[in-house]
Amino acid sequence: MIVNSLEVMFGGQAGDGSLTTGDLIAGVFKRMGLEVYTYKDFPSRIRGGHTNYVIRASESKDYGMADAVDALVAFDLEAVQEHIDEMRPGGFVIFDNTSEVVDGALRRDDVTWYEIPLAKIAKAEIGLELVRNTICIGVLGALIGMDSAIVRNDVTGVYKRKGDKVVDLNIRAIEAGEAYVREHFAERPSGYGLQAKTDGDRLIMMGNDAIAYGALVAGCRFMAGYPITPATDVLEWMSKELPKFGGVVVQAEDELAAITMTLGAAFTGVRAMTATSGPGQALMTEAIGLAGVLEIPVVVIECARAGPSTGMPTKTEQSNLNHLIYSGHGEIPRVVLAPGTITESFDLTVAAFNLAERWQLPVFLLTEQALCQSKATLPPFDIDAVRIDRGKLIDDGEVTFGEYKRFAFTDDGVSPRVIPGVPGGMHLAAGSEHNDAGVITENARNRARMMEKRMGKLVAMRDELPRAVLHGVADADIGIIGYGSNTGPIAEAVDRLSAAGVPVRFLQLRTLWPFPEDEIRIFVQGAQHVFVVENNFTGQLDRLIRTVVGPLDALHGVRKYDGRPFRPIEIIEAIQRTAQTGAAMEVR
Amino acid sequence: MATMTAKDFATATPSWWCPGCGDFGVLSALKQALAELGKQPHQVAFVSGIGCSGKISGYLHSYAFHGVHGRALPVATAVKLANRDLTVIAAGGDGDGYAIGAGHFVHAVRRNADITYIVMDNQTYGLTKGQASPTSATGYVASVSPDGNPDSPINGLALALAAGATFLARGFSAQPKHMVQMIKMAIEHKGFSIVEVMSPCVTYNKINTYAWFKEHLSDVANSEGYAPNDRSAAFDALTREGSIPMGLIYQEHRPTLEDRTGLPELPIAHLDLDGARPGYAAMLAHYR
Repeated sequence: MIVNSLEVMFGGQAGDGSLTTGDLIAGVFKRMGLEVYTYKDFPSRIRGGHTNYVIRASESKDYGMADAVDALVAFDLEAVQEHIDEMRPGGFVIFDNTSEVVDGALRRDDVTWYEIPLAKIAKAEIGLELVRNTICIGVLGALIGMDSAIVRNDVTGVYKRKGDKVVDLNIRAIEAGEAYVREHFAERPSGYGLQAKTDGDRLIMMGNDAIAYGALVAGCRFMAGYPITPATDVLEWMSKELPKFGGVVVQAEDELAAITMTLGAAFTGVRAMTATSGPGQALMTEAIGLAGVLEIPVVVIECARAGPSTGMPTKTEQSNLNHLIYSGHGEIPRVVLAPGTITESFDLTVAAFNLAERWQLPVFLLTEQALCQSKATLPPFDIDAVRIDRGKLIDDGEVTFGEYKRFAFTDDGVSPRVIPGVPGGMHLAAGSEHNDAGVITENARNRARMMEKRMGKLVAMRDELPRAVLHGVADADIGIIGYGSNTGPIAEAVDRLSAAGVPVRFLQLRTLWPFPEDEIRIFVQGAQHVFVVENNFTGQLDRLIRTVVGPLDALHGVRKYDGRPFRPIEIIEAIQRTAQTGAAMEVR
Repeated sequence: MATMTAKDFATATPSWWCPGCGDFGVLSALKQALAELGKQPHQVAFVSGIGCSGKISGYLHSYAFHGVHGRALPVATAVKLANRDLTVIAAGGDGDGYAIGAGHFVHAVRRNADITYIVMDNQTYGLTKGQASPTSATGYVASVSPDGNPDSPINGLALALAAGATFLARGFSAQPKHMVQMIKMAIEHKGFSIVEVMSPCVTYNKINTYAWFKEHLSDVANSEGYAPNDRSAAFDALTREGSIPMGLIYQEHRPTLEDRTGLPELPIAHLDLDGARPGYAAMLAHYR
């Protein structure tokens, strides 16, 4: 029996409750002391269309997707058609056979089938077809040994605001599911089990919520945004919470307004941000350039999805790296940070605000759908450790007009920054090239100095940037470089390869710009093979590394661009093929 | 507090405008209005667009922001939300406001933040050397419309009225006293106020000249029984063929964006960030 290692996939039509059910089960796993990762794979529509929600339970923190699906809960035939190939031999399927049957090649004989007329039972026994999801929780719980007290407690918690009657219906649905398993499948064990551990003081949180919470704690008090998947969660969270702290959120008419509003608020001395995805990011490009030349601290959260154009709005991709680093006419200093876990989503958001104000420039926080809309278990954030560093901000008192120069040349390129309302600080902040006092000029010498002042920040700030994280065996011959949502799958691949006698090290980049060339140069030294794992077609990170480190035979791209996150086995196999390690890779 | 004069709002930066440009009149009226209202330069945030008129922010002693083309209004709206104690004014041309910035214009109007927007309308693109603008007449011959502008001109004030404007006025560069009065009323209005100023381009627009405006403009104050709180009358005046209404065309009072968003009295820019710390930990209960 496989214990405490299970990937459950709920598959059905959008709007039929897979997400609520999945969240409920994720909560139960968490309370049973397991580590959880969830991944939403839903269509870009509200009702109908195949959707699925993956919940992985394991004993290892910060992993992503598993190699395969262990338990497929298929609410319809389409879910079987779509995902039967992703199943691990030995896994099992719970299928609602009220009105459809699975036969032919679809009916794999290396998985266990639990065919149950879920909708029929829901209607006949509970009187409400809608509760078939909850019946499923009972079925799954009985098959894998979920703690039934926790299940009942959580179901009550989720439905209690809808009244006792609804709670009662759902508890009866759980019982119906459990009873069905007892009566029909007593002789057909699933092969999976759970052994409760201590839950401890932990959270289960979505990446976007951690970003929004991080922004609040970092002192962000203004947000402007335009709804766009998968970034909307941040806007929604902030709309609910920011006013309680005296802040304000504006739903802008478009991304051009969202970013220029963010600039306006930041110029006025408020920590401000926007959140968007690829298409919105494209529209924000011109104003980001303005933030660079006006030396305005803004934070832009980019929740990347599959592009180009509308692309696949609800799918994951790492194809916006070049865009964040290079977009815009002219040259500005900018920072791109990329969290690899939910904890880092919080930490790096805080860092983004401090860096933005310390260095007076735009900072991007780059995340992807597979991280920002995923949930995971994590320890509570260390709020006491958060320091707000507003840099050279002058927000009270006064300055002497004529002496004060907003764009004064300084050693680190950062000038004291007054905000409107401070007596004596009046100046022009112009996107046109200007002198130290803000007066527009096209003087050649001034232009050169201003370029050096602004761009020099990228060098001066290097020591303050979030460092890369080194995972695995430090002196291993095989190295992997990656970032963002791939951190979990790569870390797992590293652990498993190393456990199987193939030592591997992994450099998880957290600052993507200014490009961490020193860290990469040191990391690749002595490596026989370096794999660059990324979710895009052209190898955007791979090319950056080649540009910096030079031609390198040892560098191999491992790329996935189907809109889905890596499963660790895909990384393991890519390494086995190229490095010819030959070691047998035990999947678990 | 010392009495302010228009000179207190002057900068040392020499103007780039052509001699005779209508924008000079707008600038001096704005300075005069601010002085008469007793504002001090550090209390004024002035956001301008791009184009000849956009250069005005360089000439007004204040916290001035000269950003990207067409986006003055979102910037100005956010400045006001960030610090509601500031007097926030945006200014730009007909191209900046009604072409590239038209999308923001209607939304800034309906938000009704307590800011003032001065549209300096010269019916041409001056800085790119005389193309048709959104307010150019049909048939206007210009470098990109050699056979005459095929489009109909936009009626910015009527558009704003339809979008829910709470203050609409029109002035004329050649009538400085009247313009000072309009700008003062606009700044004092609680809500989004628009002053569209007919500001002739003496270099490229040979049709809509000072003389042409003198002939076509008529002050609604002179029309008997005109009540600026009558929305239908305002719409009639704005859409009537032949004459161009000026003066206070429409005013009503509605809650501002600041009020509707429940913004605290203390400007957000002055919130005590460390003081908020005790409230954070409890929010995590939801995620346990």
